[in-house]
Amino acid sequence: MGIITSMAAFWFAILVVFILVNRGIWVFTDVSKSMSMFMLEKALGPPIDFVDGKSGSAATTWIIQGALWVIPASIITFCGLWLSHDPEALHSLSSWGLNPASSSLITSGFLVAVYGSVGMLLIGSSMHIVPELGGTTLATEKNATLMSFVWTLSVLVMFIAANKPEILGIRIMPIATILTSLALIAVIVNMLLTAASRTKKMPLPAWMLIIGMISAPVSIVALAITCSLGSGTGQWLATRMGGTTFFLMMSGAILYGASRGSGNPLWSRSLAAVTMVGAIFTINPSGLIEGEIASDFLGISSATFEPSRNDIVAGSFLLALSLIPIIALSANVLATMRGDDVFIENPDSPGMPEINLAAFMAVPIAIGGLFVLTDHLTGTNELTGIRTSLVLMGVWVVFVPASLGSALSIFPEVSGRNVISVNRSRWAFWLMAGGAFSGLAFTMMADFSDTALLEAAVEEGNQTSNRIRVLGSVLFYGTVIGSIFHALNMISGSFRGTLAREGPGPSSTSISSPYKLTKETTVRKILAQREGKLDTVVIPESTTDLPGSATEL
Amino acid sequence: MSDDGSTLIGEFLQGEGEPPSSWVMLVMGFVSTMVFLVLYGILFPNSELPVISSVLPIFDGVFDSGIWFFILGAMIGVFAILGTMLTEATSE
Repeated sequence: MGIITSMAAFWFAILVVFILVNRGIWVFTDVSKSMSMFMLEKALGPPIDFVDGKSGSAATTWIIQGALWVIPASIITFCGLWLSHDPEALHSLSSWGLNPASSSLITSGFLVAVYGSVGMLLIGSSMHIVPELGGTTLATEKNATLMSFVWTLSVLVMFIAANKPEILGIRIMPIATILTSLALIAVIVNMLLTAASRTKKMPLPAWMLIIGMISAPVSIVALAITCSLGSGTGQWLATRMGGTTFFLMMSGAILYGASRGSGNPLWSRSLAAVTMVGAIFTINPSGLIEGEIASDFLGISSATFEPSRNDIVAGSFLLALSLIPIIALSANVLATMRGDDVFIENPDSPGMPEINLAAFMAVPIAIGGLFVLTDHLTGTNELTGIRTSLVLMGVWVVFVPASLGSALSIFPEVSGRNVISVNRSRWAFWLMAGGAFSGLAFTMMADFSDTALLEAAVEEGNQTSNRIRVLGSVLFYGTVIGSIFHALNMISGSFRGTLAREGPGPSSTSISSPYKLTKETTVRKILAQREGKLDTVVIPESTTDLPGSATEL
Repeated sequence: MSDDGSTLIGEFLQGEGEPPSSWVMLVMGFVSTMVFLVLYGILFPNSELPVISSVLPIFDGVFDSGIWFFILGAMIGVFAILGTMLTEATSE
């Protein structure tokens, strides 16, 4: 089957799911609800009693585990980048039977970053956002908390599978797929039960999160029904649809995070609708360029990528159209953060710089992805050399900041406490963003240099490229340090951070440390001595429905 | 409030922001180590450091690439997180 047929099946399936979620399944709705609730809690037996069921515990567990997964993801990616210029750097590990190579480390780093950190942070955020926007509570906190550990186990298996595909003749990646599917289906059922108990009309970000999650299994079913999974084109499309899943979830999370963190209302509902519908109706450029990863996940043999002429035309067209939802998302998030003036509200608030960076970088990275994907689809293969660095840039400059930023902006609400230090959060942002952007930009420069020499058929080794790769990998180390800072900040904050329900005082100034005055002094002298600023925070009075009157002077 | 145009401040202000003692100890330790190594190099030129010089060859083949120093840094970070989790969970 061609790309258009498979996409049509996907569109139809998503439409059916959307109608069913809104209308219910006729007289079976109540039965299915009680049955699903039973399957999520009682049917699991004793394990369900090991986890906490208090409000917000599920979201907190998913978010903290997601933040912790950013560390191994960045370390593995750093090692992969280092081994690309020094392949023998970790040869001493061979005494333990480990022979890590650059490509396998980069692939496993990508998987850990996408499923471990981005996936867990977005699912954790959705466990707060969907109930909040629906005016209800999460259907079962206990099951959601328990499933976070299953998901973590699946990421661990995924990492092993990327480095050692077979152990004792058994393919490892399908085991990771089974574990991921198990946890994801439980989370989806949980979300559907939550949406079913909504007390008000849910805004679009919540629907993006739900439809994003559902689109993962639905896309595979749609491709299986159209018998596309066995072909190279079908496997490539499955990889692209995986990108759609994460893009939709990320869109929902950052639209909510941008509004919540800045205190501004969502700038445009129409653009949010364009983002959601556009993401479903187009082919998203996010994710790995080739389709082999889909065959690895599904445990089927990898097929050669041989698109027909119609596939190339339809694929290129739908890929180009994907810029519309991406630009709509970027514009909507940036405009929401700025509100009515030119300044970003709460620029130092944890999470806001990350969301700003992701929204800002989404468009140029997507354009780069379009070039590389179209090059791959048409079989030109002139940009093969920069695929890896572009994919990594998409992950570390768009998806990781977006998911981390959304999670950070809702962290006080879900955990009940703020992160321990706003200053450390700012440092972590600059280290992560600077390290990822500059490190991967230098790596991409080395890729271009290698490509140019390959085309010129130069046989000697490219020393310049190797030197640039050294610089790129060392700069990427900033991401490792930044991720450690973020994790430390969140963990310490969840124990000792200031309580989130404690509102700000009636006024505050930038003078952080107290003085011990021995006699009276003036404000002017205090300001002259230290770094004090006259930034008095004005807290508005609580709103009231009483009619206004003239202000008494 | 009077303003006689005098440039003298006339008050004694005392700040309370001081570096934590752990940082003071760390800096003092680093400076002492550097001083000791420099002095040792001057007093016993071309001589190996006792104990340390016999321990370091054990790590031959492990630290033969710069990547290990970065991995060491990441490991310190990971242990800092583990330490934070343990101490935060057990502190009163």
